[in-house]
Amino acid sequence: MSAVVAVRGLHKTFTQAGPWPWSPAREIPAVQGVDFEVAEGEVVALVGQSGSGKTTVSRIVLGLEEPTAGEIWLDGKRWDGLSEAERRPQRVRYQYVPQDALGALDPQQTALEHVVETLGALGRLPPKEALDRGREILSRLGLGAREGALPREMSGGEQRRVTLARVLALEPRLVVADEPTSGLDVDRRESVLEALVGNLPKGSGCILVTHDMAEARGWCNRVLAMLAGRVIEEVDLQKAQPAHPYARILFDPWSGPLPRHPLARSGCPFRPDCPLVDRGGLSRCEAEVPALRPMLTAGHRVACHALPGDPP
Amino acid sequence: MSALIELRDLTIRSPQRRLIEGVSLTIHGGKVTALVGPSGAGKSLSARACMGVIDVLPGLERGSLVYPELDPKKDWYAGVAGGGARSHAGLLAATRHLRGAWFAYSPQAASSALNPGRTLGRQLELAIARRSTPPANLGEEIRSLLRGVGLGPEAAAALPGELSGGMCQRAALAIAIAPKPRLVVADEPETGLDPVLRRAVVELLVQTCKEHGAGLLLISHHSDTIDRIADDVVRLPAPAGAGGDL
Repeated sequence: MSAVVAVRGLHKTFTQAGPWPWSPAREIPAVQGVDFEVAEGEVVALVGQSGSGKTTVSRIVLGLEEPTAGEIWLDGKRWDGLSEAERRPQRVRYQYVPQDALGALDPQQTALEHVVETLGALGRLPPKEALDRGREILSRLGLGAREGALPREMSGGEQRRVTLARVLALEPRLVVADEPTSGLDVDRRESVLEALVGNLPKGSGCILVTHDMAEARGWCNRVLAMLAGRVIEEVDLQKAQPAHPYARILFDPWSGPLPRHPLARSGCPFRPDCPLVDRGGLSRCEAEVPALRPMLTAGHRVACHALPGDPP
Repeated sequence: MSALIELRDLTIRSPQRRLIEGVSLTIHGGKVTALVGPSGAGKSLSARACMGVIDVLPGLERGSLVYPELDPKKDWYAGVAGGGARSHAGLLAATRHLRGAWFAYSPQAASSALNPGRTLGRQLELAIARRSTPPANLGEEIRSLLRGVGLGPEAAAALPGELSGGMCQRAALAIAIAPKPRLVVADEPETGLDPVLRRAVVELLVQTCKEHGAGLLLISHHSDTIDRIADDVVRLPAPAGAGGDL
């Protein structure tokens, strides 16, 4: 089985200029060593709190941002370090669904025009074919009756589905969706995700960046939970429950006390609030950043010095 | 203890249709009342109508609004129904002195509700100025409000643009409670926040309201939040004939 995306040892550090020209620049480590793959036909969720690095990872995968270190492989070919001229012909295969649907749509174009224009410009289809394909994809996404609607005449859910139709019409190998359902209510979220996951071309991969754990549970094959620029848990929620103490809070914030301390800068970042810190051996949690290690269930990996162990 | 708000049979129309019909709710001090329902059910509209803000026309069709703690006999909606723009503006003006003092509103998008050109300290100062009795030490009062929402004293000097989404949300909350209101109306305070921060913000809201003995009207999409913290739940039905999105 070949991987659509393979990410190896990814690091990204942003530098922020100081308040004055002579102040030293500040380094912000956004991603600190992320490895993962998305196989063909797989939907992988990236979950985590704001600032955990999920958006940065997804932007680097699409080549919108250059990694500081590490490798990105798309369909077995090296992707990072290419020039824009080398990337451009490939980009049509790797598509992005933005968070802010209304901002991404042209206020003066109808739903159908959005899709047809994309198909003509990026898919290089002749107008007649583009029109047929556009109609077909819109009706598959339940927008058949709304093809003449302008963005402001559509509901939030319909706007999202137009951005999806535009992307899915190109039959991409990979779709990266950055919180495609934020701000929608529960029913509409379901309809948007159904449109996305149900209409992915066969053999394509999907990375879904999300805050909503119910979405990750219901629609994704695998979940990568991120904390402070690292993946701390990789789990298939159909087969196993999250085990990392932070991931458990992330998935069910009401299950226990909330973290009260800032993240640690060295060692395990979750150390100050971790209930398992004694079992991991405090000195070890302080000294060493835990690596992802396999748990009992196949494919379940957790970055915690105290795990695997007896279930808490 | 008498209720803070008694809203009965609120019905509001737009030119096309009835936006809400027969909504009744009672809010008590120190209690959390949750307002839930699908998009377009009129949650925000009802919450704002509780504060005397009705900004659609023809607007109020029927209903009564009493603030028993202020005046158990006065129906603020008396004479408003069917009166057009003039009577609605009258209601708005009559309740003007209550908004931001007797009740506070914590809006959905906190970052855009803060004044981008003023420091948090200055915005808090203006909110505190709406109290009937000014505090003895303004600086200390600002610091204690910030501490209450988990922000450090250095936040007083920050502009909203320098804060993260979660911090803005907390700052908006500090400003909402600064005038010591009797009722806080929070319109989806957790929008756009991650699950951990969502719980933190909601807990903070409930805790601060209970500390001051203030009532809280909370609009939320998240059933896990509502189930855990609401004393009272008002469910609005899906809008009739508004066209399904599915």
